[in-house]
Amino acid sequence: MTAAEPTHRPTAPTSSGSTASPSPSPTSSTPPRARRARRTRADRAAIARSRLEAVLTHLLVILGVLLSVFAFYWLAVMSTSTSAEIFGYPPKLTFGSHFAENLRHLTSSIDIVSALVNTIVVAGACAVLVMFFDSLAAFAFAKFDFPGKNVLFVVMIATFLIPGSLSLVPSFILMSEIGWVGTLQALIVPGAANAFGIFLLRQMAASAIPNELIESARIDGAGFFSTYWRIGVPMLRGGLAFLGIFTFITAWNDYVWPLIVLVDPGRQTLQTALQNLNSLYLTDYGMVMTGALVSVLPLIGVFIIGSRHFIANIAAGALKG
Amino acid sequence: MSALNAPPAAAPLRTGDGAVPRSRARGWRGILTHWPQYLAIAPFYVLFLVFGLFPIVFSIVLSFTDWDGMGDIHFAGLSQYVYLVQDSRFWNAVANTFIIWILSTVPMLFLALVIAFLLHQNIRFRGIYRVAFFLPNVTSMVAMAIVFGSVFSDTFGIVNSALTALHLDSVPWLSSSWGIKVTIAVMVIWRFTGYNAIIYLAGLQSIPTDLYDAAKTDGASTWQIFTRVTIPLLRPIILFTVITSTVGGLSLFTEPQVLLGDAGGNGEAGMTIVLYQYNQAFTQFDFGYGSAIAWALFVLASVFAIINWRLLSERSETPRRPRTRRTR
Amino acid sequence: MTSPTRRALLRAAGVTGLLTAPLAACGTSPTISEDPDELVLWYWDRSASPELLTKAARSIPGTASHVRADAIGTTFDTKLRTSLAGGAYIPDITYINSNNALYFRNENQFLDMNELGAKEYASDYYPWKWDLGTTPENRFCFFPLDIGPTGFFYRQDVFEQAGLPTSPDEVSEAVRTWKDWIDLGAELRKATGSALVTTAQSIYEQFLNASAERYLDEQDAPLYTKDGSAVREAWDTAMAAISAKVTAGIPEARKTDQNAGWSSGKIAGSVNAAWWSQVLQESAPDSEGLWRIADQPVRPGNSGGSFAAIPHTCKDPEGAFAFIRWINTPAHQAEAYNDVQLFPSAPDSYASDTMKYGGRFFGDQDPLEFFSRAAEHVPTSFISTWESVISGYFTLEITNVETAGKDPDRAWADATAAAEKALRKRGVLS
Repeated sequence: MTAAEPTHRPTAPTSSGSTASPSPSPTSSTPPRARRARRTRADRAAIARSRLEAVLTHLLVILGVLLSVFAFYWLAVMSTSTSAEIFGYPPKLTFGSHFAENLRHLTSSIDIVSALVNTIVVAGACAVLVMFFDSLAAFAFAKFDFPGKNVLFVVMIATFLIPGSLSLVPSFILMSEIGWVGTLQALIVPGAANAFGIFLLRQMAASAIPNELIESARIDGAGFFSTYWRIGVPMLRGGLAFLGIFTFITAWNDYVWPLIVLVDPGRQTLQTALQNLNSLYLTDYGMVMTGALVSVLPLIGVFIIGSRHFIANIAAGALKG
Repeated sequence: MSALNAPPAAAPLRTGDGAVPRSRARGWRGILTHWPQYLAIAPFYVLFLVFGLFPIVFSIVLSFTDWDGMGDIHFAGLSQYVYLVQDSRFWNAVANTFIIWILSTVPMLFLALVIAFLLHQNIRFRGIYRVAFFLPNVTSMVAMAIVFGSVFSDTFGIVNSALTALHLDSVPWLSSSWGIKVTIAVMVIWRFTGYNAIIYLAGLQSIPTDLYDAAKTDGASTWQIFTRVTIPLLRPIILFTVITSTVGGLSLFTEPQVLLGDAGGNGEAGMTIVLYQYNQAFTQFDFGYGSAIAWALFVLASVFAIINWRLLSERSETPRRPRTRRTR
Repeated sequence: MTSPTRRALLRAAGVTGLLTAPLAACGTSPTISEDPDELVLWYWDRSASPELLTKAARSIPGTASHVRADAIGTTFDTKLRTSLAGGAYIPDITYINSNNALYFRNENQFLDMNELGAKEYASDYYPWKWDLGTTPENRFCFFPLDIGPTGFFYRQDVFEQAGLPTSPDEVSEAVRTWKDWIDLGAELRKATGSALVTTAQSIYEQFLNASAERYLDEQDAPLYTKDGSAVREAWDTAMAAISAKVTAGIPEARKTDQNAGWSSGKIAGSVNAAWWSQVLQESAPDSEGLWRIADQPVRPGNSGGSFAAIPHTCKDPEGAFAFIRWINTPAHQAEAYNDVQLFPSAPDSYASDTMKYGGRFFGDQDPLEFFSRAAEHVPTSFISTWESVISGYFTLEITNVETAGKDPDRAWADATAAAEKALRKRGVLS
């Protein structure tokens, strides 16, 4: 393989069923004219088959949906219940009447508005920075060659494999030495670019961005950054949306590090505030579940907005254009 | 071989210096030529040097000490690693981790592919379906512990009630060695299938639709489209999910902890490597040993990441695409 | 043997000039509060009366200082230890759970409150609790907050069905020894199919909690290897309970199963601490009125209960101690019981007659009366800082016998061998 690129495969997005199939189906090997002659009967069969397929598909999907939604529904039920009802036997699966009370306890126990604002700032900043830095790096790794690339890429993947849980103490010391303890940037800056996202987007770019586009941009005299902006970003939209959403979620739900580093009770994130509701003694689970529900709802909103980008299929259009 | 099948990083992509021959530019000159690329990848490495390297060096150093997380640090040579090799609890955790990893990863990634494929079709309500499949990934872990504890409860759980109603034997899900592993695997599958499906969906988004249209015109069945178009095109993304699932699976912690507590269930049947590491570092305050476990895990994860990488990437190196469709 | 300080090592590990240069530039250890009159307290929800904290937030009586109380969640130890290890943002006062022995290894991180005049208040508190707050170096670093005297909770209705004694006095009388207690459990099992307690592990642990001797002595020498040691007796009791089939085999992590057991009467009892009555009321509310508490065999023990400590960096030790003493006067501990059900460690709290148990969960029985009596008889014991390193091996093997049918002799041999190995590793045995 040229340029000794273990990390850099030609992505060979293969052909359609007919050409790559080692044992081609009868239809695909039949000349077009013969095919047309058989169409009416085959069509009827095909329509019936596709109906059946559609029904089966829906049934399968709905089964999966029910399994997925079940626990969330239960969470919602628990947020309307008392601690006793939550752990009662048999489990109660219908909505209770304590939501207002739980919510009142929640809002009187923690400053939910300020926690919410801090969390939005942290998660939003993380998502934007990660999307930007990771896609830049991924674009460079996927579509360009430069000295030392392979080594750098392997080093990056290796950092992804390093277990992180033991770094609390040294990270805390580092933050306290640079005076960032208690600040939100201690939660934002260290994670502003990560191996996970670079790796993901590099893999996406490999199959999504045809080299012809990069080549024609070069011929047009576009530099790296303008190629990135004009071709890389639009073609990676789906991957970026995913990365943005899940960086947002990860930052939103993170609690161990924020709990250590946010020493000021007036500056907390939602998760650290909610964690502080847990007691070594008795925990009011109704209130905790209400908190959990409140913290999840914005994420669903973010997902609905961001996931629109999973649908749009712009790659084909860009190629043809 | 068509031009498209050449490595994407072909010589013409170099900007500027036309005097550079096809072979790689060496030395400073080559590096300077590529300054935009270095600038593009720099943020990650700078952040890593500033915030990541120090904790990592620290934890390597710790694995050669007997630090308790607070007091003075005494060097202990290789004793943590010697103990590790002979520690049956550690090896039990390694075995558990691998069993749960295999039980969960294979069905999870397959289901995720199927779901992504189905959602990528033009079926109705797919917006709603997407949100539904995404929910498990954000549902709070405290809530999950309660829900799964109830559903898989030995005596009172829904699953066992269903089994009994079907005249089958009930299964001691949360007290037998295999029951515990299967329950944890189910929890992982439940929580991460939708997540992986969404990654695949994002990957599918980048596949030109004309490939599907062409396959359909050719009369390919849904299954043929799935196996012959979708999977090959998604291979880089599949590689990504396999690597991340390997790392995630080998670092499994949250599910067993919320389901079984810090002790890992009866006979430590649900004790995973990271749960054991957590136990040693954060409940026994044996940070030296915790670090040694972490680095042992790093070695294991690296080995498996490399194996996966080789397995998946070698196959995709076989170029199979005649220049059809895309350049039409 | 060199033992470099943390910071020296951290700086050395800080990889050449890259990090050390900026680090050296700012030398002062950052404090958690800039206000010289503000003392920061770390506690967790329900470990202090909110009303008293509100008062202390205005001012600590007799001082010019006031308290800022920060509630910390269940990752309390991790946060406290990280701050202490990092030497920054350490609270001025901290609550510590019943695992305070873990901090004995680093007792110099906390001030000796005897030097602040704690001695003169010693007689206000149960002596066994006071001793638990004293380190092996005989420094008094952990001030008594609440306690967890234990008793035998049981379902009176299930006992009645089984034709067993029903009133607390009769049951107490019937279970003077652990053997009697297990025999009673066997009868219960035969008559109703109900288990006496959740797990053999709980029997083992509560046996030790009621014992003057535990795993290691004050010189950290193992006691469990000796013939007739408390650990061995506790073990044998747990084994007897397993072979008599009086345990349900449902560990604490399986909360739903446990709660269902208690609600339905399939698990008809528990040897547990005073604070557990609150847990039970929330876990099995339908069984209100059906529970009673009897004396457990031999003598009551103590399970749980917290302490207050003053980290060595405290900016105003006198003020901090004044707060700790003030919030723990017998009268204030009684208030804390009424507010958040913390069981007082000062006997006079009960005498003050302001403490009230209003519920009907135990029928006409008053749990306060029961546990205040039990607290008088808890034996003084010593908990070694290394206990937590080895106790897990014993409970793991007990569970193996209980749920996997492992041979008890083999299990004991495995547990003691593993414990010895672990103690060697930590340098306790050589």
